[in-house]
Amino acid sequence: MSDKKTTHFGFKEVPVDEKAERVAEVFHSVAAKYDVMNDLMSGGIHRLWKRFTIEASGVRAGHKVLDIAGGTGDLSYQFAKLVGANGQVVLADINASMLGVGRDRLTDRGIAGNINFAQCDAQFLPFPDNTFDCITIAFGLRNVTDKDMALRSMQRVLKPGGRLLVLEFSKPQSEILSKVYDTYSFKVLPFMGKLVTNDAESYRYLAESIRMHPDQQTLKEMMDNAGFVRTEFHNMTGGIVALHKGIKP
Amino acid sequence: MTSTLTIAALASAEKMINAALRYDPATRIGLTQLEGKIIALQITTPGITIFMMPMDDELRLMSSWDGDADTRITGSLLALAQLSQTEIHNLKDSGVTVMGDLSLLADLQRLVKNLDIDWEEMLSQFTGDIIGHQTAQLIRAKLSWAKDRAKSGQRLTSEFLTEELKTLPGKAELNDFYQQVDDLRLAVDRAAARVEKLLTERKP
Repeated sequence: MSDKKTTHFGFKEVPVDEKAERVAEVFHSVAAKYDVMNDLMSGGIHRLWKRFTIEASGVRAGHKVLDIAGGTGDLSYQFAKLVGANGQVVLADINASMLGVGRDRLTDRGIAGNINFAQCDAQFLPFPDNTFDCITIAFGLRNVTDKDMALRSMQRVLKPGGRLLVLEFSKPQSEILSKVYDTYSFKVLPFMGKLVTNDAESYRYLAESIRMHPDQQTLKEMMDNAGFVRTEFHNMTGGIVALHKGIKP
Repeated sequence: MTSTLTIAALASAEKMINAALRYDPATRIGLTQLEGKIIALQITTPGITIFMMPMDDELRLMSSWDGDADTRITGSLLALAQLSQTEIHNLKDSGVTVMGDLSLLADLQRLVKNLDIDWEEMLSQFTGDIIGHQTAQLIRAKLSWAKDRAKSGQRLTSEFLTEELKTLPGKAELNDFYQQVDDLRLAVDRAAARVEKLLTERKP
């Protein structure tokens, strides 16, 4: 029997050192049509979830913000406007394709001067301690190989008093909603993925990875363990998505 | 707790407001001067708080704000609607309370009052210049007519209630009544004083 450590990749178990590569393949495949698919899959509601994240961020002019797994730059666009010329936003993503799409989109929308782009792994953030006022990771944490390590890394680069916001799919709070959601995720999503990006597998991974992601309470405890205080979560759309918030003491 | 529906409603309202503001450059410039300020509008009935933040030359509406507001305005929907239409000199008896930076409220109120959407520019985007101009003329004429009607309607209603139906007293009638009450009060006071004097004189 092999004693090589494994982790989950959707419902499959894969060696730890393979997960990042496999996740990268998924996002390389969907990068170009990521936004279209997000709108299609969520009926546009993902924009409202992100909107609420911005509201909860409390980001003001002059702040430094790190948008991890920022992908196509939805949050970074709003943050760049909020922090103004004296602030700074770093759009970080492990995936070069997603980062490229995000960078082009932000440049096309006139965002420049107060934004930087970094291709980096959330587990090993290449920033000095106590750098950011706010860190967000939207729909990214479930793809990270070692989530605890990533949370600790985020805690390290946050300034004391700074806040981490984790926007992620979670566990629906009602049984009925949960059943409807399951049918939608495992039947409709891969079909839509096949139609739009000709890639049903990537969207099957999306549905599976959501089911494998820790539920609201577990993620809250993980944030506590990583050293955050005043951790709390806010369910949205019946718990399909939850926004977790924690402060660095 | 903020629901997804509230966020959706505010997002739609914000989109509509900013779409309209695109055709009012003066208000947009005014908004840039308030950039980054947070105004909390706390409506008591129905109970909802909306946070407004001018950002660039647009207005952002938020269902929550994790931080302090520069100005917090509290009142019922009706009281707040009235406030937007009248000049602020004194908030006493207006049903509205304001905490924080009062000048910010005055700036915002001035912007709302001076709102002047360029209908012509907005319509010509869809219809071309000539039809846009004619339709805008029509809208302007109708708006002006509606404002006049609203003013004269108020006057006509009060005349109808006082002169025709006689259900309410007229202003002159009321003044006369107040005068009579005042006179009566003075007469009663005089009578009371006289009775008092007589009683004192009769005492041994």
